Amino acid sequence: MSSKAYALYKKDFYSELRTRYAINALVMFIIVAISVILFSIGNEKITQSLTSGLFWVVIFFSAMSGLARAFVSEEERGTSLTLHLIAAPSTIFSGKLLFNLILVFCMNIIIAILYAALFDSFIIKNFALFIVSFVLGNVGLATASTIIAAIISKAGAKGTLYPVLSFPILLPLILTAVQLTLLANQGASFGDAKFELAIVFCYDVIMLTGSYLLFDFVWKD
Amino acid sequence: MRNKYLFGGFIIVLFLGFMVYLFTQSNIKYESNFVKVMKEEKVVRATGSWVREKNYIMDTQNRIFSFYMADENGHEMKVIYNGSMPNNFESAKSVVVTGEYKDGFFHASSILTKCPSKYEGQDVQNMKTSKL
Repeated sequence: MSSKAYALYKKDFYSELRTRYAINALVMFIIVAISVILFSIGNEKITQSLTSGLFWVVIFFSAMSGLARAFVSEEERGTSLTLHLIAAPSTIFSGKLLFNLILVFCMNIIIAILYAALFDSFIIKNFALFIVSFVLGNVGLATASTIIAAIISKAGAKGTLYPVLSFPILLPLILTAVQLTLLANQGASFGDAKFELAIVFCYDVIMLTGSYLLFDFVWKD
Repeated sequence: MRNKYLFGGFIIVLFLGFMVYLFTQSNIKYESNFVKVMKEEKVVRATGSWVREKNYIMDTQNRIFSFYMADENGHEMKVIYNGSMPNNFESAKSVVVTGEYKDGFFHASSILTKCPSKYEGQDVQNMKTSKL
């Protein structure tokens, strides 16, 4: 099962390298969003809570612009029926999740580096806390957006449906992640952030179990 | 197959309950000792009472409201709040301010006032003698 999932990931990876659809969409979005924020701020001093909020705004919308690709591309090329024949639903989900995880991590590392370089008030004081919350938040974001991409891939207006459907599901994650980023920037200890970390961890577990259970029904059509 | 859904559903319900519980918890703690408030460099809820002898200042132009607050041990600190004075501030028995102590002042982001109740019970003797 895992070798098949890895093969599916490799297939997605090479087809992404060839077309560069998601990568281009993500990079363009990140550059445009961050430069608009920078221009609108100008010389203004902005608070740390505002910066960590803006950080997750950029992450949320760039995820919305790139991650739906995983399942939508299969539907568009008409290859989803072939996938039905080759592997079990959970295998397919694992492969797509792996691809989206790698994509989310690359994207968010770039966003974090850009923020740290360009914003004066985005200084990570507790690096370990930032890394832990970053990893947990990214896993949650990738899992939720993969299952939502699978749900919307068969619908008509995919582009609008995706952010609309994602928003309520991602809201608890985004709210907590904003708090965690703020705490890491203020230099809080792990003890101060234990509630937030536990919330994000619970969210990840719920999303992972929920999507593996429900993907069978989404995929079987 | 049935077992898979039962087990998965159980995990989801368990963690969902845990998450809802955690959401109701708050990291901000109450502090009634102002010496600790001044040392702490993060957001706390300080509880105490308004010092009536030192009057409050309401700067309507800049919308800054400031007053002195004392804890139960008599330690005083100056509280600055960006906004208008709460309605029942003058009659408040105790005040809870949420904020951070910085540069010699307590910068409050919200003020909660606790007022004496209108509906204080009469003592039992009075209740028996008074006929409604």
